[in-house]
Amino acid sequence: MSRIPGMGIARGMSITLRRFFQPAVTIRYPEVTSPIPPKNRGRLQLLYDENGALKCETCFQCAQACPIECIDMGGVDTRGRYHIHWGPAETYGERREESALRRSGRPVADPAAERFAPIDLAPLDAILERHDHDPAELLAILEETQDAYGHLPVAALKHLSFRTAAPYALVYGTATYYRQFRLAPPADEAQAVAVAARRPTDASFLAALDASLGTGPRGTGAGAA
Amino acid sequence: MTTLLATPSTWPRILTAGFGATDPTDLDAAVAAGAFEGLTRAVRTHGPTGTIALLRASGLRGRGGGGFPTADKWDACAMAQGAVRHVVANGYESDPATHIARGLMEERPYAVVEGVAIAAFAVGATESYIAVRAEYGEAIRRLEAAVARAEAAGHIGANVLGSGRDIFVSVRPVRGAYMLGEETVLLKALEGKRGQPEQRPPYPSERGLWGRPTVVNDVVTLGAVGWIVANSADAYAAIGDPEAPGTTLVQVAGAIEEPGIAEVPTGTRLREIVDLAGQMASGHRLKAVVVGGPTGGILPPRELDTPYGYAALREVGAHVGSGSILVADERACVVDLATLLTRYCADEACGKTIPCRIGLRRLAEIGQRAASGHARPTDPALLADLSADIVASALCAHERAATNPLTSVLRYFRPELDEHLLRSACPAGVCHPIGVTPAGTAT
Ligand SMILES: Cc1cc2nc3c(=O)[nH]c(=O)nc-3n(C[C@H](O)[C@H](O)[C@H](O)COP(=O)(O)O)c2cc1C
Ligand code: SF4
Ligand code: FES
Repeated sequence: MSRIPGMGIARGMSITLRRFFQPAVTIRYPEVTSPIPPKNRGRLQLLYDENGALKCETCFQCAQACPIECIDMGGVDTRGRYHIHWGPAETYGERREESALRRSGRPVADPAAERFAPIDLAPLDAILERHDHDPAELLAILEETQDAYGHLPVAALKHLSFRTAAPYALVYGTATYYRQFRLAPPADEAQAVAVAARRPTDASFLAALDASLGTGPRGTGAGAA
Repeated sequence: MTTLLATPSTWPRILTAGFGATDPTDLDAAVAAGAFEGLTRAVRTHGPTGTIALLRASGLRGRGGGGFPTADKWDACAMAQGAVRHVVANGYESDPATHIARGLMEERPYAVVEGVAIAAFAVGATESYIAVRAEYGEAIRRLEAAVARAEAAGHIGANVLGSGRDIFVSVRPVRGAYMLGEETVLLKALEGKRGQPEQRPPYPSERGLWGRPTVVNDVVTLGAVGWIVANSADAYAAIGDPEAPGTTLVQVAGAIEEPGIAEVPTGTRLREIVDLAGQMASGHRLKAVVVGGPTGGILPPRELDTPYGYAALREVGAHVGSGSILVADERACVVDLATLLTRYCADEACGKTIPCRIGLRRLAEIGQRAASGHARPTDPALLADLSADIVASALCAHERAATNPLTSVLRYFRPELDEHLLRSACPAGVCHPIGVTPAGTAT
């Protein structure tokens, strides 16, 4: 508070006057654009197709390619099998509502959280120890982990990624690529089978092929064991 | 047991000679029948470069589907920079309906091992692998027994035949997905990585297993190598189609009386091959043949005069592929069949590139729309367009070939496709274009 009345106004006006004669900093967008760093990719946004379905197939390619792992995925994977979540919940549109609810203090049921349920990591650590925490032996590590736990718990994949320094996207991509791995616990098996049966795996492909040829089971099964 | 079809006695039997032996892993019997004669000659007489030259003169091409000259592949590997090289025999056999490689590995394990050893000798590889589909338990057991016995007898192993060269062979079961048959994917699987194809070049012969020069050959290709070196390049070059000489293994199955596998000279007409498998099932009429497995082309009867060869089949919109020939009679609907195959190919695609991840899916959807009577007027044009784009932009051979089933239907079975598209009707009575799918039908 100044003691001389009008002093504040005079000081304010002097700033205005000084600025008035300085060059303008306004950029006349869009006629003029400021340079964008060559590696800027803008805001990450997923697009929808004309049927309103997300065009992203949750294939994990981009997450795997991203050098600083800033991209992560939530959703159902390409083979329609798993509902996966990774990264902070707020990044997924489908979870945003939930997050808002949670901030309001009300409890929210989160089925995806089950996948992150903590597990006993001792068997996994023993496996990792045997393989020297070497990400080059990822496939063998995954096989043994599945043998130990009956399936591949998300918590195990997370730990595996952390301890071997293999990007999570790589671990997840490898685990879902090979058919012998399952991310759902065996209790879920009936459901997992039902999901898988929507797509022709080898046995159902052969059955469908025989049906399509009208030959019954002996046609394509020729020489089959 | 794989049924071996009877072939005319004038046709040479190189790969299937000795099929049906009581114990295929009996080393003495195999040696008496000529096993490891080729390896001995390669080491004692020809030397590495001589062996490759001999193979070039024989004209042998890869039987894994691509038809790449085997000698060129070996040469590239032998010339490539690198201290350590590998040989990988591709015994994965991705097509679930085909059992050709399994038959060969079970019945002629020594032929496969000898082929690998000759390749290893020619390119200078110490460690070689036979990658076998893990479900093929018997083949794995027999190959392991064959490797162990051959090593104990000194045919392979340390200092082979006093040449100062070590040739170690091991059997590696692999499992997990259809795409493992593709060579770059197979190498990834052996390295324990997610199986997705790599851009080629560089070919595996320059940068393969663990970044080292690697020869990847089909087991059927390698199965003939011992014979070629033991007999002569000229003898092999005289068989079959001069462009790609020799014999190859095919499997005839489907709506036919006696399905089985057969050894045929290249260039044999499709009709002759189909006839090996006997009559059509209970008097039905042949309507189409699917040549090349799930990614095969669907050919009408008038194309049965096509010779079985890489170029000729590609010309008519099919390919050698897995060596499978599936016969369909008039009970089958080609639209349904093509849709099923495309759907399978789309499901099995690795997801690395856009044509494979999304292109094949959209392609299968076009087929499904036709089969379910929801086709759009633009669908035939879209199908042709999309297929051309996929072929032009594909990373690996899978998505390129996966356009074969639907494009061959568009090319050869236009009237039947039009019935589906324009009248929502299925002449064969298989599809349900009005959208009603009775229980128990496969779509
Ligand atoms: C989708 C796909 C599946 C394949 N499956 C097999 C297979 O099951 N067995 C095989 O030997 N080659 C297969 N190949 C071919 C291999 O990539 C490779 O070309 C071959 O093993 C090389 O051997 P060759 O030169 O003796 O033909 C496949 C290729 C593709 C694109
Ligand atoms: S996950 Fe796959 S489909 Fe989705 S945005 Fe990334 S690359 Fe595209
Ligand atoms: S199948 Fe994915 S790139 Fe070929």
